[in-house]
Amino acid sequence: MELGSLFSNLSLGFSVAVSLQNLFWCLMGAVIGTAVGVLPGVGPTATMALLLPATYFLPPEGALIMLAGIYYGAQYGGSTTAILVNLPGEASSVVTTLDGYQMARQGRAGPALAIAALGSFFAGCVATIAIVLAAPPLTRLAQQFAPADYFSLMVLGLVFAVVLARGSVIKAFGMIFLGMLLGLVGTDVNTGNTRFTFGISDLFDGIGFVPLVMGVFGIAEIMANLTNPQRRDLVDAKVSGLLPTKEDIMRSIAPVLRGTFLGGLLGILPGGGAVLASFSAYTVEKRLSKTPEKFGTGMIEGVAAPESANNAAAQTSFIPMLTLGIPSNAVMAMMIGGMMIHGIIPGPQVMEQKPGLFWGMIVSMWIGNLMLVVLNLPLIGIWVRMLLVPYRLLAVAILFFCCIGVYSLNNSANEVLIIALFGVIGYLLMKLECEPAPLLLGFLLGPMMEVYMRRAMLLSRGDPWVFLQRPLSLTFLAIAVVLLLFVILPNVRRARETAFQE
Amino acid sequence: MQRRDFLTLAGATLAAGFSSKASAQAQGWPERTVKVILPYAPGGAADRVGRPWADKLSQAFGQQFVIENRGGASGMIGVEAASKSAPDGYTLLLTPNAPLAVLPSLRKTPYDPIKSFDPVGRVGDVINGFVIHPSVGVKTFQEMVEYAKKNPGKLTFGSSGNGTSTHLRLEMLKYKTGIDILHIPYRGGADTLNDVLPGTVHMMNEPVSLPHAKAGKLILLNVNSQVRHPDFPDIPTLTELGITGADVPIWFSIFAPAGTPKDIIAKLNAKMQEIARTDDMKAKLIAVNAVAPLQSPENMAKHLLEDIKANAELINAANIKIE
Amino acid sequence: MRIRSGQDIATGLLFLAFGLAAYWIGADYPMGSPQRPGTGVLPRILAWCLMGTGAILCAKAFLADGTALTRWAWRPVIMTTLATIAFALTVDNLGLVVSMLLSMTLCALGTPETRWREYAIFCVLMVALGVGMFIWGLRMPIPVWPVSLPGALSWN
Repeated sequence: MELGSLFSNLSLGFSVAVSLQNLFWCLMGAVIGTAVGVLPGVGPTATMALLLPATYFLPPEGALIMLAGIYYGAQYGGSTTAILVNLPGEASSVVTTLDGYQMARQGRAGPALAIAALGSFFAGCVATIAIVLAAPPLTRLAQQFAPADYFSLMVLGLVFAVVLARGSVIKAFGMIFLGMLLGLVGTDVNTGNTRFTFGISDLFDGIGFVPLVMGVFGIAEIMANLTNPQRRDLVDAKVSGLLPTKEDIMRSIAPVLRGTFLGGLLGILPGGGAVLASFSAYTVEKRLSKTPEKFGTGMIEGVAAPESANNAAAQTSFIPMLTLGIPSNAVMAMMIGGMMIHGIIPGPQVMEQKPGLFWGMIVSMWIGNLMLVVLNLPLIGIWVRMLLVPYRLLAVAILFFCCIGVYSLNNSANEVLIIALFGVIGYLLMKLECEPAPLLLGFLLGPMMEVYMRRAMLLSRGDPWVFLQRPLSLTFLAIAVVLLLFVILPNVRRARETAFQE
Repeated sequence: MQRRDFLTLAGATLAAGFSSKASAQAQGWPERTVKVILPYAPGGAADRVGRPWADKLSQAFGQQFVIENRGGASGMIGVEAASKSAPDGYTLLLTPNAPLAVLPSLRKTPYDPIKSFDPVGRVGDVINGFVIHPSVGVKTFQEMVEYAKKNPGKLTFGSSGNGTSTHLRLEMLKYKTGIDILHIPYRGGADTLNDVLPGTVHMMNEPVSLPHAKAGKLILLNVNSQVRHPDFPDIPTLTELGITGADVPIWFSIFAPAGTPKDIIAKLNAKMQEIARTDDMKAKLIAVNAVAPLQSPENMAKHLLEDIKANAELINAANIKIE
Repeated sequence: MRIRSGQDIATGLLFLAFGLAAYWIGADYPMGSPQRPGTGVLPRILAWCLMGTGAILCAKAFLADGTALTRWAWRPVIMTTLATIAFALTVDNLGLVVSMLLSMTLCALGTPETRWREYAIFCVLMVALGVGMFIWGLRMPIPVWPVSLPGALSWN
């Protein structure tokens, strides 16, 4: 794209985005998104669904700008609860809990939140630039991915899940397998058969991700913390500084850069790349670090990288939607719904037919990110003070938000029962020192992996070699194998040593 | 507006507890908010057709018609909820035909498509057709059929899932023309489009593909409906191509729980037909590739029966099974 | 042979149990063909993997020292579970306010640290916040009051 037309597009975009009206809607979206992201359980999808009819009365630009604001605002907000109370607001914030929560327990919630916000802002800026400059080529890159490639990517993701694990590798494997099995509950897309549903129609679409997370993270945490004061040596006394130290910032620079790059790339894959963004970034940091064993105890890199990655992915996931009209996730589908309500048919012609809308949205994404950083940084002080509320009351509040959050997703009380079940299971796993993160990752990736495997096999007419023939697929599988060896070999060696000592 | 909504909602909920005075209310119906259940997640095709209607009905009757999305299990969950609602005219179901006309022939559903509901009116028939990726090299429907006959099993078709309406369209095509096309199930239209655009999969039959056909990225081969699509005046319907009775329509309509007073249904149907005749509604519907036919509740009931029968035959003939 | 890690054997047995359950439930899912792997393929593979992992853990429990099992805190576990179930069962019938009160109180009963006067004030605040945020703010279609109150309370 030559500089001349780029400039004119951007100025068009600015003129649309910087109107008083649209700035207001941007702010609204950012505020609502942050609030919604902070509330555990209530996610951007549910909120957008609720507000979609209201946007009918707004002009199309304003409506879409606001909806977009809700989406990435929720990304910012979701990290807040992940860090403060070990409750990830979104799939992408699961990884933030690993080190973010530990930092909070050490009284460093402030720096964690600050780095998360700043990293996200940086990632958002870079991603916006990427969209402006390279949306069409990036889309073409994404189109190179066939089902076989997606399969191998998912396999790689699962291997990442093992690398992520802090403790016993065997238990991590077990958690992944268990998670994958839980992910299979529901209808088998390829055949329509139901699996593990015991005939309950609420389970036909599977166990919801949010109820699972609320149960395993939220409710189980409450159970563990309620009568165990030592466990929550939280912020009772120390809120040692709200700002990140110089050292924090120096250590975060490279992770933020790497996370942005990784997340930005993964976000353009409509087949589900964004989910991988945060924990790929985490895994990369862990492998590159000189002290990988410290990951999981409160390393700032473990917050900076995933947070940047997930925000970058959130922004770039707009690309397939804007250029092709293909939604990469439920939120994008909602945006498309919003567009169609206003009579705009998403697709390749939107760029030509409605340039004001297109470029206005992109510019407002950047403005939205700016607003969010300005909004969130001062809020850190408030959030951290909220932690001073005695746990006996905080627990009650968390419980309430979990219940209502899950209920509001589908107006279904049955899903709240699921949280109860997984709360108990989560507590059990906690007692056995089995980490929930690999479970969740297995849950997310397992079904996707299966879908892609079967689709690839169908397309190749039953030829399994297709996974090794496609260059992308081969690359991912190769990396996966190498990583796996890195993880397993030391353990095997250790086991043999112990066995020899006997 | 906020406070009135809140109070209306609170009042509606309270009143929902004892809604026995149904029949006498037809004169004054609707006197409060009407809940319209959409058995699919928000943002999908059902929303796009349904929300303009909810809006127009709210304007026409002066009471809110509120859409409640209750997605899940291919529409079964929402439809089941609607079937169990009170038949007082304050809960309606807006659904495509699939959960009622297709699903019961594939699996056991917790509702009976005929006995659980009273038809009210048609909302929109979705027009779309088979699209094919240009890399295959065919430009018309006949060319595609010839190609498929010469290369059995080579062409691939992506559907929204096993047993969905789009899958049935493929089966109907195969059945009527005798060609062999490989079926690849996906999770909805957008998912399918993802693989069709780069040409990984050759064909699909979903409204999401139409903007791309307009942009020239994909080729529209035919239209599955009685009339041609106004945006594609050169593309023939299946009937014009000589393939009769092959339609497998996807049509949206409003149903009421069985036992809803007849006069409420008649009142709503009359208003719906009135709305469907307006230019504004026609424009809104065509933007989402739909046309709303005018039909009385009785004829709609017949239409449903025919649809169920046709789908059941097709399912049998093509041996589509779900355990 | 003695058990050198209570935790490992417990986890191992848990995995074995889940794996076995998965295998048994999925035993008659169709397996399909290599070109079209069926519904039962992945469940069976995973069941085997899980059982294998469980077996390894059980073996490890006998061969290497590990952590012992810790006691469960029954009161918070039971009360929190009851609280969640209570919310689920009552929110549709008895409305948001009642179900909130019920579930929050059950949760508060789960810890001996609760100070009841303080809790009461907090409770009222939370209910107000909840109704304000979710009903007014987000316009969620959740019944606020019990559905069976007499018509005198109907505003319309």
